[in-house]
Amino acid sequence: MAELSATPSVQPGSAGLAPLPASPRLRRAWGPAFEAILIPLGAILLALVLFGLFCKAQGQDPFKVYASIYKASFGSWFAFQNTLMRTAPLMLTALCTALPARLGMIVIGNEGALVMGGIGAVIAGLAVPAWPHHLALGFMALSGIVWGGLWISLSAGLRQYRGVNETISSLLLNYISIAILNHLVNGPMKDPTSLNKPSSFPIAEEIMLGRITFGDFTMRVHWGLAFGLVACVILWFLMQRTTFGFQARFIGANPKAARLGGLPVNRTTLITCFLAGGCAGVAGMVEVAAVHGRANESLAAGFGYAGILVAFVARFHPLAIVPVSLLLGGILASSGILQRAHKLPDSTSLVFQGLVFLVILFSDSLYGRFKIFKP
Amino acid sequence: MDSFWLVTMAILAGAVRGGTPFLFVSLGECLTEKSGKINLGQEGSLLAGAMTAYAVSYHSGSPWYGVLAAMGVGMLLGLLFAWLSQLPRTNDIAVGIALMLFGSGIAFFFGKPYIQPSAPLLPGIPLGAWSDSTQIQAALRICPLFFLGLLTAYFLAWFLRSTRWGLQIRAAGDQPSAARALGISLKAVRTWAAMAGSGLAAVGGSYLSLYYPGAWTEAISGGQGLMAVALVIFARWDPKMCLVASLLFGGAQSVGPALQAAGIQTGYYLWNASPYVLTLIVMVITCSTKKSLAGAPGALATGE
Amino acid sequence: MTLIPPENLERFTQAPASLDLYRITKKFGDFTAADEISLTVPPGTVHALLGENGAGKSTLVKCVMGFHPATSGEIMVGGHVREIQHPSDARKYGIGMVYQHFTLVPSMTVTENLVLSRPDVPAAVNWKRETARLEEFMATEAPFKVPLHKRASELAAGEKQKTEILKQLYLKSRILILDEPTSVLTPAEATEVLALLRQMTVAGRLSIIIITHKFREVFSFADDVTVLRRGKLAGQGKVKDLDRDSLAAMMMGGTSSAKPVPSAPRATTSTSSRRTALRVKQLSVLGDNGLTAVKDVSFELAEGEVLGIAGVAGNGQRELMEVLGGQRPAATGSLEAHGQPYHGTRRDILAHQFHTLPEEPLRNACAPMLSMAENIALRTFDQPPQARWKWLLNFRAIRKSALPLIEAYSIKTRGPDTPIRDLSGGNVQRAILARELSTLPLKILVVSEPCFGLDFAATDFVHQKITEARDRGVAVLVVSSDLDELLKITDRLLVMSGGQITYETPTATADLAVIGTHMAGHG
Repeated sequence: MAELSATPSVQPGSAGLAPLPASPRLRRAWGPAFEAILIPLGAILLALVLFGLFCKAQGQDPFKVYASIYKASFGSWFAFQNTLMRTAPLMLTALCTALPARLGMIVIGNEGALVMGGIGAVIAGLAVPAWPHHLALGFMALSGIVWGGLWISLSAGLRQYRGVNETISSLLLNYISIAILNHLVNGPMKDPTSLNKPSSFPIAEEIMLGRITFGDFTMRVHWGLAFGLVACVILWFLMQRTTFGFQARFIGANPKAARLGGLPVNRTTLITCFLAGGCAGVAGMVEVAAVHGRANESLAAGFGYAGILVAFVARFHPLAIVPVSLLLGGILASSGILQRAHKLPDSTSLVFQGLVFLVILFSDSLYGRFKIFKP
Repeated sequence: MDSFWLVTMAILAGAVRGGTPFLFVSLGECLTEKSGKINLGQEGSLLAGAMTAYAVSYHSGSPWYGVLAAMGVGMLLGLLFAWLSQLPRTNDIAVGIALMLFGSGIAFFFGKPYIQPSAPLLPGIPLGAWSDSTQIQAALRICPLFFLGLLTAYFLAWFLRSTRWGLQIRAAGDQPSAARALGISLKAVRTWAAMAGSGLAAVGGSYLSLYYPGAWTEAISGGQGLMAVALVIFARWDPKMCLVASLLFGGAQSVGPALQAAGIQTGYYLWNASPYVLTLIVMVITCSTKKSLAGAPGALATGE
Repeated sequence: MTLIPPENLERFTQAPASLDLYRITKKFGDFTAADEISLTVPPGTVHALLGENGAGKSTLVKCVMGFHPATSGEIMVGGHVREIQHPSDARKYGIGMVYQHFTLVPSMTVTENLVLSRPDVPAAVNWKRETARLEEFMATEAPFKVPLHKRASELAAGEKQKTEILKQLYLKSRILILDEPTSVLTPAEATEVLALLRQMTVAGRLSIIIITHKFREVFSFADDVTVLRRGKLAGQGKVKDLDRDSLAAMMMGGTSSAKPVPSAPRATTSTSSRRTALRVKQLSVLGDNGLTAVKDVSFELAEGEVLGIAGVAGNGQRELMEVLGGQRPAATGSLEAHGQPYHGTRRDILAHQFHTLPEEPLRNACAPMLSMAENIALRTFDQPPQARWKWLLNFRAIRKSALPLIEAYSIKTRGPDTPIRDLSGGNVQRAILARELSTLPLKILVVSEPCFGLDFAATDFVHQKITEARDRGVAVLVVSSDLDELLKITDRLLVMSGGQITYETPTATADLAVIGTHMAGHG
């Protein structure tokens, strides 16, 4: 499992392409970096080709489908803003898988942590409708972090203290969180006016999260995007540049050796998972405070599951999550046009995500196979 | 008739009815894990199997062709799992998650046109025909797939104990280095085990769409494939224990609907979570950080 | 010891064949692991293959076993040239191998293991018939008994080794290759197993090649010996024509480096006058299987003393080590360092300067994917200058502090940024040793199998470092299954058997025979 969080290393003695006639010094410095970028890119290209073949088999012209996807995701300012709106929660939920992966864990409870974070944010928002805007938002975010964080910490605790596999437990917690959400919006928190889509009471308009503005210019994108970016940078710094991150990486590489050094394995694991769940919780808070204004089943819209994919494609690197989220956000944004213009069902994007996932895992086995990247 | 017997029989019938898919998936997973790999993609196989079975039954008019086709699709997914999970630097858990996503994507995509039409379903064997009570008749109406599962459980137990292939699977899963020294091809053994295991899970899926609940919807599984993975731990990798555990879970699953039928509305949505909570509780009870589990194949989760 | 009844010997109609290797060469890329090696094993003899780690012994026998066919050269069985491309070829010509690591499947019974090892396992096994057949084999042909119904995981190491040998007899192998077969046995078990095998060669039932590095086994057991060094033939001859010194000279290439470790006067003064550094009090520990692996162990370790724990591997030493290193919780009992309770937290480690170096460092003490510099920084990364304000990492300082250690411990690496898993086993050992020994205020050092897999020169280097530390006043505990090593470097010896300390003696007056009986648990 720890294998996953490995930075790609070049294995000796494997066959591959002939070396480039570039200077050896240049290749020593840049070979591994190129490898780490080009292999995932190649994998995504391969996934696109496979997806094209899939569309072809459905009687669609793949190039027209690609064109539609591009147009609906990056083709115009309007489309790009649509993409950005989906990028925000993706970045945050991806961190929920990426951080524990540094510890050698595979957590897939992103959807559940997002839902719990959303519930927490709604409860906080309903409790303080009259607080000043920023204070109320901070309180809601904090509540989202705590709810989401505790949710994933539960998985981590079960693993550290009871030896329960965190992948299975976190996925079970997804189902449980959705049951809790359904219970709350159909019972104690139900807004009687929400008939065909049971929802909680809405939070006050005054404490909703606003749109990003530069002077006079207002985007359709809300501040959640900034939350995601900041979280990626801060957590990258935490994992890469601080003693806490060093501890976490050492534990991820070999918990036994970490214990030998007296590193607090359980505490580090719990804190990391709390932060991870907290990120997904913030995603839930953003969905509530900036988009829906209330809690209902729209919270479980699949951002959690897509976040798992983003984390894997980004190879669990917090900064790489940003561009990958943008890419996948674009694909999610184009899901509507695939239905309307190409008569492809909404699950098409699920098929594409599955393809990307499989190809990315396949590409993991290619590291070190190409002599061209050898130092 | 005594009402106590009626209730008991209803619970037993519920256990059999709800437990059959668990049985197939857990047997499949048991076989796969005995060879040393964990396949979380069983959920994807279950869904793809359910969809395929329903579609093939609809077009061919015979539900049994549906079951066969489901098995074929499951085996293909198992092949994909075996290939990817045995590449260097990949990991079976991650591949399983990817296949969960991919399998459900495929199932939802191709299953879209089959949500409305009704396909011929599997017949139930009316074991209660002797009685005039409709309740007993309903309770004793049992799908032939259940008996197939029952046979499979006993067959698998014998297979793992007393056949060359069974012994080779156990060797590969318990001590890969020993298996290699014996000249056993880990790749071949694990590929066959994963294919058979995934095929069984898909048969479990065909039960869902072709018998109970007996229609194809996207919410048909609700994580049963995944719970079955946890069941295998509970059953200590023993096929006969898988049978017991599956019946237990099948019974537990019917608690929510039963309570609702009895007119108890409070916490209906929470009761829906009961199988998941039960699975978690079972895992908390059976797992331990202090010692490796008795019966666990030695190579599980070691990356070997 | 049971003698083989003569009527059993007669059942062997097929005498063992001779085995001749002629100019076997094995290359891996540019590297020649075995270079034109020839040797002859006449029927019914024992041939010892002697050499340090990496001398090419395993490479050579793997060619014979067909795991990797030789690059050039010929293998003759019974005077006929045989192509051996695959393990099944070797099996066909009656060649079988007993590995250093057991090849039994732990969860299977001995019966299941034996049946599975056959080349012709029936598609469906009739256990009744197989059991009856095996029982007959045990009653008639087998030179010793093993419990057929027990799972392999329940067998003691000696029983496992016997099962492996029995497996080869059951498979009708007539040429046996044994890879360090006694490394996991008590001295008594080793003697017993070797004597039985010896008997069978004398009776003309087997020919044997035994890989070993123990001179004692060569002299008491083998007819001929071949010495390898760095992939080349370093010497060959009849054992009776050779003596210890000439063998040692062959192994080390003429220049014997087996110089004694220079040391301060041994613990002639009573240890009680020195301060106790580490006290282990009634410690009990559970093993991986949940059973008690260490039972009620108590001992004290004084400053400036090297205390050794001897014992056959698997008698609780690993679990004891893991508790001392903070890697495993104790079931009952406690640890005290310098008179204070010790829990293995980072603060405790720092306060008492208590470092632990477990066996197999790549698996137990390293983060394989992290760089060598980061691995060396495990003890210091949260202290200035490696961490500013105790939380911000200074990578330059981490790199810089690794450089002098690479020099001082002559670690062969491309640089401090190389992932430690890319280093060879010996260099990993040196790097971790550097980490644990280089902190100057070191007060307590616990090491396990410190020289496993190292060559002579490196072994001497490690022993010297340990002795130096002792002379600085460090309290040192050495756990090793190599009794010779312990006798060389320790002041006091404990013997561990069945999870308990069964015997204690000052090393200076230690009696090998007494230690041996205690290791076997017959104290």
